[in-house]
Amino acid sequence: MADRSQPRHAQDKLAFLLSLVPYLMDHDRVSVADAAAHFGVPEHQIREAVRLIGVSGVPGETAMYQHGDLFDIAWDDFEDNDQILLTHLVAIDDSPRFSAREAAALIAGLQYLSSLPEHADRDAIASLTAKLSRGASSQPSQVAVEASESDETVALIRESVERGSQLEFDYLNSQGQAERRRVDPLRVESVDADWYLRGWCHSREALRTFRLDRMSLPSITDEPITHAARDVSLPDKLFEGSVDDLIVTIDVAPAAAPLIADYIPEGATMTEVDGRVRTTVRVSHYHGLKRLIASMPGVATVVEPTEARAVVAEWAAAGAARYDAGHAPAATQHEAT
Amino acid sequence: MPTASSSPRVPVEERLFSLVLALLATDSGLTKNEILSTVQGYRQKYAHSGDNSNLERQFERDKDDIRDLGVPLETIESPGQAGNNQNLRYRIPRGEYELPADVRFSPDETTLLNLAAMVWREGSLSGESRRAILKLRSLGVSTTEPVLGYAPRVRVRESAFDPLSSALEKRQYVRFSYLKPGDREATVRRVAPLALVQHQGRWHLYADDPEAGVTKTFLLRRIVSQVTTTNQTFPAPSADQTERALAELDEVWNAHTAIVQVEPGSDAATRLGKRRGTGVAASGALELHYSDINIFADELAGFGPEVLVLAPGDLRDAVHQRLQRTAADHG
Repeated sequence: MADRSQPRHAQDKLAFLLSLVPYLMDHDRVSVADAAAHFGVPEHQIREAVRLIGVSGVPGETAMYQHGDLFDIAWDDFEDNDQILLTHLVAIDDSPRFSAREAAALIAGLQYLSSLPEHADRDAIASLTAKLSRGASSQPSQVAVEASESDETVALIRESVERGSQLEFDYLNSQGQAERRRVDPLRVESVDADWYLRGWCHSREALRTFRLDRMSLPSITDEPITHAARDVSLPDKLFEGSVDDLIVTIDVAPAAAPLIADYIPEGATMTEVDGRVRTTVRVSHYHGLKRLIASMPGVATVVEPTEARAVVAEWAAAGAARYDAGHAPAATQHEAT
Repeated sequence: MPTASSSPRVPVEERLFSLVLALLATDSGLTKNEILSTVQGYRQKYAHSGDNSNLERQFERDKDDIRDLGVPLETIESPGQAGNNQNLRYRIPRGEYELPADVRFSPDETTLLNLAAMVWREGSLSGESRRAILKLRSLGVSTTEPVLGYAPRVRVRESAFDPLSSALEKRQYVRFSYLKPGDREATVRRVAPLALVQHQGRWHLYADDPEAGVTKTFLLRRIVSQVTTTNQTFPAPSADQTERALAELDEVWNAHTAIVQVEPGSDAATRLGKRRGTGVAASGALELHYSDINIFADELAGFGPEVLVLAPGDLRDAVHQRLQRTAADHG
C-alpha cells in the first residue's frame, strides 16, 4: 500500500510546486493565508512548499547550486510577516500544461454536467473543451460520460434558492405514498445518472435527501426559507444511517456486491457461503428492501429475518401474478375495485 | 531502500522538482550521468567510481512519474552519437511544457471547471482531476460563487476501468474474459481499446476487435477476468471515438422500445415517466427505451406489481421469469 501511495503523494506535491511558482510570480506579494485560501490547502502546506522553493534551483554552470542558480524569497518578510515575495526566479516562466488524462477528466466532467442550468450555453462548453485540448500535453484520452438528464426541476430548485423561497413538491416515499413536502433546498447532488436534492424538510423538520425522479408537481412557494446552504453543514454521505434502521442479512454474488455497497454498513462482516458473499444491509424499511432485492434476481437473496424474506417474496409473487394467464390488465382491475 | 547514510535524505518531491527545473533550464539537454551526478536528490547518492544502477532505476521511475503529470520530458540523441544510449540527452522543451498563452480561463469558466473536476472526487480519475485543478489555480483566477451548490459525482467501481484507461492512453491491445448474457461461459477477447464511455449510468468499453474486423461495445461489469495489457500497440484512432461510442449506444437505446403499463400514482409511474425519452401511448401505457434487455428486465422487476410489460414478448418473459425466481428464492 505504501509503495503505491508514496509516488502518488510525491507527484501531487510536485504538481503543487509547479503550480504554486507561477501563481507567486504573478502576485508580487501575497500572504500565506491568501495563497492557502486560493489553492484550498492548509497554510502549513503553503509554508512548507515556499521553504522548499526558496532553496531549490538548477545545478548551474558550476553544477554546485550557487546562489544565483536558486530561487530566492524575501525570507524576513516570510518568517516574520507570513508574506511571500519571490525575489529571484529560475527555470519556470509559466503554468504547466494539463496531462492528457487531466484534460480528459475535466472534459468528461463538463460533458456530464452540460444539462445543468448553469451550462445553458452549449457554445461555451465547446470552446472550453477546445481550450482544454489545446492546453493538454497530448491529445486528451477518450473518456466520456453521457450528459445526464437533470430535468427542469433543477432550474426550479435554482430559482427557489435565488429567491430565498421554499420549494414544495409531491414526493412518493418508498412505501408508495405521495405527500406534499415543503423544503429549503441546500444542494443538488448526483451519482452517475441519478440526481438528488438535499434540503431542510419542513414537513419532517430534518435534513432529507430526495430523488429528483421521485418528485412531481414542484413549485416555488411564497414562504421564505429558514435554512440557507451556508448555515448548514451537510454530512458527506447522501443517506445517513438512523437508529431505527433495520438490519437484514443477505447473500449476494461477489460481482454484484459493489452495486449495493451504499447499503452495507461500515464494518459489516463479509463471509463466503456457497460462492456468495454473506453480509448485512441497512434499510429504513422493508418497502425499500423489496424493490432493491427484486431488481437483483438470482443475484441477491435475503437470508433473515423471516419477515423481510416474506415481504420480498410477496412483492415478487404479486408482480409475477400479473403475467399469469387470464389475469386482467391492471387498469381494468383498478376500475373494478 | 539503501541510502547513503552520510548525507541527509532529500524528500522525493524535492528530487522531482529539482529534476524538472534542471531539465527546463537546459536547451541542449543533460546526459543521464550529468543528471545523476549534479541534480539535487541524485548527486547525494551518486558514486563517482562505482555502480549507480540503483540510482539509474530511480531515475527511470522518476521520469515516468514526471511524464505522468503531462510534463513533456524528451530524449534526444547527442550530435554524432546516434545509437549510443549512454549519450542520450534529456530535456523538457519549454514551449511544450508551458500552457499556451491563449489558454486562459474566465472566472465563470474556472467555476465550471471546478465543478467538472468535482465529478471525479472518488475513484480512478480523482488524482487527475485534483492535479488539473491545481494547475488551473496556478493561473490565479478566482471562482464565482454559484447560486445553487452542486455536488456531482460519477463513480467508477469496475476494476477493469484503470487498466483499460491506461491501455487506451498507451494504445495497447488488451485481453479479458467477457461474459455475454445468456452464455454459460465467458470467452476471451483481444481488442484495441478506443474509448471508455458512461451511458445511462453504466461504463462501456468501445473497442476494435481485429479478428472480427469490427468495433464492439463491452459493458465493463461483464468483464469477468483481470484485464491483461499486451505490449502490442495500435495506431492512434481518430479523435471522435467517444462521440461515435455514445452515438452507437444511443442508436441501440432508441431501437429498443418497450410498452409498459404502470400503476397510476405508483413509484414506477413517477420514475419511469421521468426516464429519458419516455413517451405515452394512446392507451396510457408508457413507451420506454432501453439498451440491454437483461439490465432493463432487472430494473423493471424491482417495481414488482407496479409494472406490467405488454411488449416486446422477450422482455415480458424476462421480467416474469425474474419475479418468479425472486419469489421462489424467498419462499
